[in-house]
Amino acid sequence: MTDPPEDRAHLERLIARRQFIREAASGTLIAALGGGLYALSDQLTREAQAAERKDGRPRLPPGQRVLSALRPMGGAEGDPRKSQFRLRVHGEVEQPFELDFRQLLALPQTTQTCDVHCVTSWSVLDATFSGVQVRTLAERAKVKPTARHVVFEAAHGYTSNVRLAEALAPNVLVTHSLGGEALERTHGGPVRALVPDLYFWKSAKWLTGVRFVAKDEPGYWETRGYHNHADPWKEERYA
Amino acid sequence: MQILGKKNATPERSVNVRAWLRALHRDAGYLAVGLTVVYALSGLAVNHIKDWDPNFTQVKRTHQLHGPFPADERAAAAKALAELEVATPPEDVYRVSDSEIEIVTGQVTFHLNPESGVVNEEGQQPRFLLRTANWLHLNRGKKAWSYIADGYAVFLLFLASSGLFMIRGRRGLFGRGAVLAMLGAALPILYVVLSGGP
Repeated sequence: MTDPPEDRAHLERLIARRQFIREAASGTLIAALGGGLYALSDQLTREAQAAERKDGRPRLPPGQRVLSALRPMGGAEGDPRKSQFRLRVHGEVEQPFELDFRQLLALPQTTQTCDVHCVTSWSVLDATFSGVQVRTLAERAKVKPTARHVVFEAAHGYTSNVRLAEALAPNVLVTHSLGGEALERTHGGPVRALVPDLYFWKSAKWLTGVRFVAKDEPGYWETRGYHNHADPWKEERYA
Repeated sequence: MQILGKKNATPERSVNVRAWLRALHRDAGYLAVGLTVVYALSGLAVNHIKDWDPNFTQVKRTHQLHGPFPADERAAAAKALAELEVATPPEDVYRVSDSEIEIVTGQVTFHLNPESGVVNEEGQQPRFLLRTANWLHLNRGKKAWSYIADGYAVFLLFLASSGLFMIRGRRGLFGRGAVLAMLGAALPILYVVLSGGP
């Protein structure tokens, strides 16, 4: 006895569908396993997770993975010409001043190797930056006792806010070089802020000013849902 | 010649809602193709921004040129650019220090060390299609694009809701359709519940 042609066609369609579902599920499983293997093979991240900083905190903040170099993160690029660079130090200070690039280079320079952590979950270890400590600028400007925060001002109105005590830490710089070379324009050159112990958006690229303020002023990302403080070890990513 | 009686005329006057839905769904789908491609490609690109730069390709090269270079920075820059076969005239030449002359040409900057002849070239070139798609997706153009994006969102809502009612029977909303729709809705709900939410 043979099946009618309609039943046979229906059965063939059913089998074909089942086969498709089986193959799609297999493909998904293989892709997932591949992703798992990729994650397991991330040697740099595993080593950093096992290491500890001098202050006792884990070297790699939670939720981060290690990249070998800074990733350009976009943003509205500022003027890349060093000849046009001006840095205004002002606000709650007794002696506001402005520097051009050569004058910035004439100030005491600091070279430091540190880790940086982007809120998009990548970190770069042992990046060597050179520049001027913000505390040097603060001393020269004679910051008033009323100042509580620092606002880094950058091209196209971008700002980021940092608590005064954290901005005056010795590892917080106004930096112009990375890895011994001029800071690339995609990374904020000619000059950017560097606040290594906060998420990297606080380290404003294409820096134009350092303003000391008495009252906190949440910056560009801080007013768009990102955390006001941005401590990577507390995963202060979002407000 | 057939004379239509009352009994035969009734089906012609009735409105077949599902047929209308299918037709509207189809046409809305055609209209949404262009924007869906823009938003999907850009979404994939921007989602993985930590892995790559979706807007630009990065340029970073080191060159070793033959000195000596003239003491005048403009002359030194001209000699360096000539040796690098860069035809674009520099926008800016600036002596940063004895060991660096900065030469800016459009999207690229050259850092010339006139003492050693080493030139570090750095900059970026825009990815034409993706940069444009991202520009649209992220609404960097503002103004009129907001209305287009709003219209597209309404289209998507219509496509989603009309799709629910296009087919009747066990493959429609009272069969396979319900199961798949619930699965689709469960994804964001489960994600929020399991991740702890905002």
